[in-house]
Amino acid sequence: MSKLIKVFLIASFAVASFSAKAVTVASWGGAYTESQQKAYADTYTDPSSIQFENYNGGLGEVRAQVESGSVTWDLVDVLPSDAITGCDEGLFEDISSEIAELSTPGPDGETMLEDMENNGLEYHSGWDCCVPQIFWTYVVFFDPDAFPGDKPSSMADFFDVEKFPGKRGIHTWATGIVEKAMVADGVKPTAVPTVLEKQTGALDRAFAKLDTIKDHIVFWSSGSKPLELVKSGEVVMAIAYNGRVGAANLAEGENFEYIWEGQVLDQEYLCLMSGAPNRDAAIDFMMHASTPEAQAEQAKYITYGPMRASGIPIIQNNEPWGPGGVEIMPHMPNTPERLKVSIVSDPQWWSDNGAEINERYSAWMGN
Amino acid sequence: MPIGDMLLRSVDDSQINTVFPNTFKEYEKWDKEKDELPPEEVFKSLFEELAYGEKVQVGRALTRMNYSKSGWKSLIKKTSRAIKKAVKKNEFPDSYKDFLITTNENWADPTFWYAMGQMLNNQTPIYYYNAIDMTYDQDQNVVRQEENRRVYVQTWIKTFKVSVYVTFFCLILGFPVAHLLANLPLRYSNLLMIFVLLPFWTSLLVRTTAWIVMLQQQGVINGVLVWMGILNDDGRLSMVYNETGTLIAMTQILLPFMILPLYSVMRVIPKSHMRAAQNLGAKPAMAFWKVYLPQTIPGMSAGGLLVFVLAIGYFITPELVGGKDGKLIGSWIAYHLKTTLNWGLCAALGAILLGVMLVFYWLYNKIVGIDNIKLG
Repeated sequence: MSKLIKVFLIASFAVASFSAKAVTVASWGGAYTESQQKAYADTYTDPSSIQFENYNGGLGEVRAQVESGSVTWDLVDVLPSDAITGCDEGLFEDISSEIAELSTPGPDGETMLEDMENNGLEYHSGWDCCVPQIFWTYVVFFDPDAFPGDKPSSMADFFDVEKFPGKRGIHTWATGIVEKAMVADGVKPTAVPTVLEKQTGALDRAFAKLDTIKDHIVFWSSGSKPLELVKSGEVVMAIAYNGRVGAANLAEGENFEYIWEGQVLDQEYLCLMSGAPNRDAAIDFMMHASTPEAQAEQAKYITYGPMRASGIPIIQNNEPWGPGGVEIMPHMPNTPERLKVSIVSDPQWWSDNGAEINERYSAWMGN
Repeated sequence: MPIGDMLLRSVDDSQINTVFPNTFKEYEKWDKEKDELPPEEVFKSLFEELAYGEKVQVGRALTRMNYSKSGWKSLIKKTSRAIKKAVKKNEFPDSYKDFLITTNENWADPTFWYAMGQMLNNQTPIYYYNAIDMTYDQDQNVVRQEENRRVYVQTWIKTFKVSVYVTFFCLILGFPVAHLLANLPLRYSNLLMIFVLLPFWTSLLVRTTAWIVMLQQQGVINGVLVWMGILNDDGRLSMVYNETGTLIAMTQILLPFMILPLYSVMRVIPKSHMRAAQNLGAKPAMAFWKVYLPQTIPGMSAGGLLVFVLAIGYFITPELVGGKDGKLIGSWIAYHLKTTLNWGLCAALGAILLGVMLVFYWLYNKIVGIDNIKLG
């Protein structure tokens, strides 16, 4: 009997120490987390020490954990505006010195942060607590079969319902849409963030442009919807997350085309929770997940682009990079030439103005 | 406890007062009639409190400040960086006012200073005002929000409208079904019961998605109608991504909550009552109206209250099938909880929701009597 208890005790200790060692990463779930598992965890020195958990985004749960003092996550995958707020509020730990010391430099000796700046990014306070993951983007796509003649190729076409009749699929929140409307209104894509920040009345201009297609919009609120809308013919073009379009093309044999002009790039960061139970192991994993190689690896499984500029050549020089010999570069949002016609969403501006703009956008939708 | 915490949060504004105590104290001395900008002392204490304040505390304060006016966040962040740099080099300006304004010209914009006035007290009703599209003007008078930002009142109305409709439709549809269930022989009613319970046990998302497949313009119902020649191809009905879709899907999803209490009440109504009424000369319709219906009121009330309470806080289904009309008050609570971290506003919205429920409960108690509620 006592033997049995001993065995049981040892076993439970083994389990306890094992689970205590595991780094818990909260992420968005689905195909995205699967790609992280394959690209970051499976290539890590100890894959079993990384556990992914799903959450719904935002900082609500993060703040609840930190404020109540019972932190169970180590790392969280967040949007840049959340990275900024989380870092400012101390929900994420400032590890700028660890990042400077331990992160893997690029092939030409540039630091990780310089490598990110080469991709068109600017420093923000989120960079003190977080490491880069991927670029994803709000991109317009369409089924070429729906346009027997001319095919749309620009934001101006997306907002031109006379030249290209039919409904448009658009999401129910303002991020990405405001920027696209500015491009359709004639602003150079790379200049959009500056115009929005500096020019008075820029927002009115964007909303006036949106008014022109208001009666031709189907609104969607979950990421799979725009694909269904376009497939079923309910709309002729839609804004979607580019990873969803890439998956439809690569895995489901669809033949959708992208309009890269006016795409709005947003980012994902991996941030360290304040009071993370496995802080050091988590930092080690962060450094692994932010190498150019690991980021390029992720593009194999989901068509989001590496946030480190040096990740792109790795893919380019090794095509076909995808599993089963498929080419990945046609689906990468942040190639140098595509970046020239893209908007890199400004997280600081959005975290300043997001609430107000989203209220306005909702009021606009409802009227 | 959680409810108390929510109510406290909806008026709490103390965090920011621990970060800028001197600035606020000096601010109160500012005579807005006389000067366009606050006096030098305000700038000086702000400078000091940003220079020596704890980073995390300031960070939390500026999340709060941004609710009062968009742009506070980056304004304070840029300024603190400049201030910390100056302090490090031991360079203290002669005029703190000029220093701040050269750092960022927004400090010369009085609207930022007016917005600061909202935060001076440890308690604030501002979240409640915001929840009904009101705000403060520069002199702390309560005024309506700018026109293009007024969303909450219309959302409140929409939420109540949808909830009332859904409750009504559930009652209309649920009553005959429950009646049938209660009066059929057991083996049929058991089978029928399974048809009621099966969707009840099915995942919410599955049912919502199924409705989209049924209702969309290229979907099953439109397809059949076009095929039968009732509609032509251009005249397809739009039944989803609008309020119709929300009502249809929510009614179906909440229907079991109406049927089950109704059923359990109807089952115990003796059949002899109807027979007796008719025996005494009432026509079937009269007997139903005078004898049967009153006895089902406890079930109707229980079901109605249950459906209404559930409907009023619903947000996933409306968001998925409601298109542009799909944002009910629950969606806004979730948005502010997750994205803007404006928990004060969340708490205020929640408290109003709670208050409305209590009013309904009270009304109900007055009209029907709470002891009359029955789940079986």
